[in-house]
Amino acid sequence: MHVEFFGVPRERAGLSGLEMNAETLGQLLTTLAAQIPSFGKFIGTDEQGSHLHPAFVANLNGDRFVRDPRTPLAENDCVMILSADAGG
Amino acid sequence: MPFGYHGRYLRIDVSRGSGEYVPLDDTVLRQFIGGSGLGVWLLLAEGAANADPLAPEAPIAFTFSPLVGSPLTTSAKFAVVSKSPLTERINDSLASSGFAIAGKSCGCDAIVIVGRAAELSVLIVDETGVRLESATEHRSATCRETEAALRSRLGANYRIASIGPAGENMVRYATVSHDGRHAGRGGSGAVLGARNVKAIAVRGTRRPEWAHPLELTALSKSLSQRSLGPATAKYRELGTATNLVTFNRFGALPTRNFQSGTFDEAASLSPEELSVTRSRTRASCVTCTIGCEHIYGGVRVEYESLFALGSLCGVGDAGMVLRASQRCDELGLDTISTGGTIAFAMECVERKWLDEPWLKFGDGEAMLRAIDSIGSREGLGNLLAEGSRRAARTIGHNSISIAPQVKGLEIPGYEPRALQTMALGFAVGPRGADHNRSGAYEVDFSDKVDRRHVTLDAVRHAIDTEDKAALMDSLIVCRFLRGVFEDFYAETAEMLHSVTGWDVSAGELRETARRIVAAKRQFNLLAGWTPAEDTLPERFLNTPLPNDPAASLSRDRLDGLVAEYHRQRGW
Repeated sequence: MHVEFFGVPRERAGLSGLEMNAETLGQLLTTLAAQIPSFGKFIGTDEQGSHLHPAFVANLNGDRFVRDPRTPLAENDCVMILSADAGG
Repeated sequence: MPFGYHGRYLRIDVSRGSGEYVPLDDTVLRQFIGGSGLGVWLLLAEGAANADPLAPEAPIAFTFSPLVGSPLTTSAKFAVVSKSPLTERINDSLASSGFAIAGKSCGCDAIVIVGRAAELSVLIVDETGVRLESATEHRSATCRETEAALRSRLGANYRIASIGPAGENMVRYATVSHDGRHAGRGGSGAVLGARNVKAIAVRGTRRPEWAHPLELTALSKSLSQRSLGPATAKYRELGTATNLVTFNRFGALPTRNFQSGTFDEAASLSPEELSVTRSRTRASCVTCTIGCEHIYGGVRVEYESLFALGSLCGVGDAGMVLRASQRCDELGLDTISTGGTIAFAMECVERKWLDEPWLKFGDGEAMLRAIDSIGSREGLGNLLAEGSRRAARTIGHNSISIAPQVKGLEIPGYEPRALQTMALGFAVGPRGADHNRSGAYEVDFSDKVDRRHVTLDAVRHAIDTEDKAALMDSLIVCRFLRGVFEDFYAETAEMLHSVTGWDVSAGELRETARRIVAAKRQFNLLAGWTPAEDTLPERFLNTPLPNDPAASLSRDRLDGLVAEYHRQRGW
């Protein structure tokens, strides 16, 4: 699947997007934390898996915003990661 | 009198050039706090709802708050509250910085101005009292020029709020400016211009004591530390301008007068592109630890200005957009209403409803020409200075269906079909389409709703953001702190307790927030509000977004949301 970063996540990750493989959102975040340590400090872990800091949020394909690490991902999904505080 | 207050407001009749202190009851202060809340109460007490907002008898209130002057981060803010000449409904617009502290130091919790000065004047409030001096030499000066000239004339320790040429010409969306920031929406600048007041200069030495200074200091340190964390990183590191690319990706970036939710040239207006060829600096309001102001090549850049003068008008040339934003600041024009009204006119030209062939989408020079004509009210500018709703009435052709406004206030940079909780917030907003008094877009950008197919469950979330905004605007603290609070009402109750000494609870502040929202509604009812006003223009209710057909909002769905909103409010 494709992962896109916006705003502060893009600054922290140092790139606008990348291709990854994961079966769940939690798995994707675990891999991201390992691959991009500068972004990894905004990824925590609990008994359900890896999750984003509350200041950030993930969106699937421009449709649903998701937080649950158990959220299943499909091969062609696009996961967008952005600041939770959307306004201004 | 509680700590943190002076317990009185200064009521000035500029027709006579004199003022008097009027006591404020403790109960009123506790029920409405300050800022927007106190301002609405004052306007109701003054009987402002039935007045023509540009008539001499219509009051305009500059209100402070118990937190102003405290070490709490972002608390140096003031509200400007009046009946809007754009919407004929309540208008409360906020701005920041030294004017709030200096104004409160004059020994009052608010300054209310009525009357009309005999000539263009500067209103001065200081230790010697109240006086008017001629400002005719500053006629047509920009906001920044006026502040600089008056500080040179009066002394550097005065703090000045002023209007630009647009306010003098009573453009219905003129701003009140202070230190480069604007109480922007709804036309406060026109109301001050109608008072024949070019500027207000304040200086004082009277500061109320805090009830629990040690507790306040500890809370302030904690809040400041948290304001430097991830919850505010967007504002510190990139500023609100970063929204533009994100919103474009989500198909929620209003483009060409809301004819699309995506803009091909959005990337050219991103912070990354803006900084390629321009210097980039940051600035903060007094007492603020966030520092959200990002300045590119000397121009302060905000998302709302970029969207309104960029994608909404189809202009992708960053240089043109920054020049337009700067020109609005100089003239004292609200960038959202300016861009919204010009974009509306551009579409009317495109449809051949308006014979001004030079005014085309994407033409930055034409946009600049239109802005100048609005500020001076010359030519087409005289029509556009009335805002899109009034302009539509003159243009005809049912152009009101594409006028991007609610209650006359132009819609900010959130496509309502793609962000439908925000659509509800716009429809029911007491001051019209507004993203500050309703933060409902936060709900759309969360896992609480499906942003393109919201259900009645979204209503309680929209109400929650509106209530929180009412409290933040009355305390006053900056809404960019909202992600910092873990328990918003409990933490703000602690802050208010440390300043005032009141034994105030989270529950009480929830009730206070609702009371303030209800007071705004009461004002609007007295001003002639009808249920038909709580809606969106036809365009949004009969046309899906061309770039995203799933983003469709029917009249039935919106009506259902509005009805549920009224039911949950108990109205």
